[in-house]
Amino acid sequence: FILMLSLALGTMITITSNHWVTAWAGLEINTLAIIPLISKSHHPRAIEAATKYFLTQATASALMLFSSMTNAWSSGQWDITQLTNPPSCLLLTAAIAIKLGLTPFHFWFPEVLQGSSLITALLLSTAMKFPPTTILLLTSHSLNPTLLSTMAIMSIALGGWMGLNQTQTRKILAFSSISHLGWMTIIITYNPKLTLLTFYLYSLMTTSIFLSMNSTNTLKLSTLMTSWTKAPMLNTTLMLTLLSLAGLPPLTGFLPKWLIIQELTKQEMTTTATIISMLSLLGLFFYLRLTYCSTITLPPNSSNKMKQWSIKKPVNTLTPTL
Amino acid sequence: MALAATLLHNAYFCGRCCRHKALQPLLGPLLSDSLSKSYSSYRRPGSQPEKKTTWQNVDLSFKKSIEVLKTQLGMLKKETEDHLAGPEGQSLTHYMLEQTRVVWEFRSQEDLNKWVISSDVEIGGKSEVYLKLGRNNQTALLYGTLNTEVPRDGETKYSGYCSMRAKPLVGSFARKKYYDWSNFNSLYLRVRGDGRPWMVNIYTDPYFSHQKDDLYNYFMFTRGGPYWEEIKIPFSKFFLSSRGRVQDDQHPIWLDKISTVGFTIGDKVNGPFQLEIDFIGLLNDRAHTEEFAYETYEKNPPL
Repeated sequence: FILMLSLALGTMITITSNHWVTAWAGLEINTLAIIPLISKSHHPRAIEAATKYFLTQATASALMLFSSMTNAWSSGQWDITQLTNPPSCLLLTAAIAIKLGLTPFHFWFPEVLQGSSLITALLLSTAMKFPPTTILLLTSHSLNPTLLSTMAIMSIALGGWMGLNQTQTRKILAFSSISHLGWMTIIITYNPKLTLLTFYLYSLMTTSIFLSMNSTNTLKLSTLMTSWTKAPMLNTTLMLTLLSLAGLPPLTGFLPKWLIIQELTKQEMTTTATIISMLSLLGLFFYLRLTYCSTITLPPNSSNKMKQWSIKKPVNTLTPTL
Repeated sequence: MALAATLLHNAYFCGRCCRHKALQPLLGPLLSDSLSKSYSSYRRPGSQPEKKTTWQNVDLSFKKSIEVLKTQLGMLKKETEDHLAGPEGQSLTHYMLEQTRVVWEFRSQEDLNKWVISSDVEIGGKSEVYLKLGRNNQTALLYGTLNTEVPRDGETKYSGYCSMRAKPLVGSFARKKYYDWSNFNSLYLRVRGDGRPWMVNIYTDPYFSHQKDDLYNYFMFTRGGPYWEEIKIPFSKFFLSSRGRVQDDQHPIWLDKISTVGFTIGDKVNGPFQLEIDFIGLLNDRAHTEEFAYETYEKNPPL
């Protein structure tokens, strides 16, 4: 319980900060609080995931501290919104990219998500992304758009490509997270409010997916495919949510993509907009295949997990219909 | 779009091109039988003395490196195509409907080359072990003599073991590849033993080196008759051990990142042994519902 409290505390500290040290302190509290959560089950893979998480996040925090210190050295003040020194901006972009898991610093993310339990994975992809995103928002006017756009396009590409034949659900969601982060960061220098909107909608959709997967305990694709016998309503809503995550038009997930593409075309970045829409097709293919497997075609096999019989309390059946 | 993604990936891997000249020594320790000595200077009595250091083995001929580069790029292309096709290179429907799979068969010398044999000779013992193809090239025969005589180096207490271990999968540019067996829940072995008990070890290659001795083991008791035995070992029975010591904190094996499988004999009985293996496969036993055979609750809960 105290770990959850520390997570909330860390997030609050970072969000409400206007001095670099408080922002960094909040991020560190978050990192330290989630490490025991990741390694709670003491499985060797969970411990490996916790170690990876710790190393990457510590590096990112150190880089952030370097950037704030060089900025303070050159400009004499520690205000987050006044990030004037160009090397500091670069360092900060790199640091936040590592913290979020943007390409090319994404390597830790699928492994860490795979090593942790489903709820911790949920926390890792939604709550832990929030403070670095706020820092990006606060400094968005002084960040290098080229670098961010490149990283974002690579993230969307990689998220779609690597997600193609994963069989573990947590890794699938990790790559979808990387892809969505790409969408979020591509628009941050032009219209930060869209980033926030994307983030909120993404967190909502991912939360509902993770919670549905948690109630049916699906850790791999084969379990997902047999969940239609256990909780059919949950399965259909899961399918809708997955498609929403992919960004199909009538569902909510399309809204941020549409607005982002509109904003990019307004900024004369039509080629970028076309490229990212094409790349997210890769992801769409994959999500479609998943939903095809799990809901549209009812697979003939049965699962041999004893615990998976009819679930009495399905959560979140209404959230996906947003 | 797939082309762009492939180009992206190729560009990403081109950074490794300049390492092709060092590939030979990289692949060397992987393919040879000798003990790798990257950290200790004490040479056990059974291992060969190092004649050439690793850096002396580097072959700087241009033609050879171009060929190596071509093979690696070919492997990379095949990996990309497999990635597009689906999990493990087969389509998703194949993966979904799969209930059995043969992972290792022994029909030719190439199949035998995928395995490494070792015995206590590396610590100075006297057991012998050999691996050859059985009759009609249909099986593999692992045979030899177990000798429990302890090597006299003052610190070894027990001796007498022989083992056979699969070589880990290597992808393009000497990257590690893993088996994904998450669709299955038992190991299926068709063997003909001689009545001696064997131990099956599964190694899930971890990322960090402090877990590199983690091994999941279970026993395989053979019958010894002239008839073939089909032994099914569910993965839920495998227990975790590290450097041979069974751990207190037990966890089930995770099947999504498996590196090698091995067989060991070490039953403290002097004498010859023989194991004939037809194939090693996987089975998704629908009737097996056990998740883990050992206690997972906290054994010493804090008060």
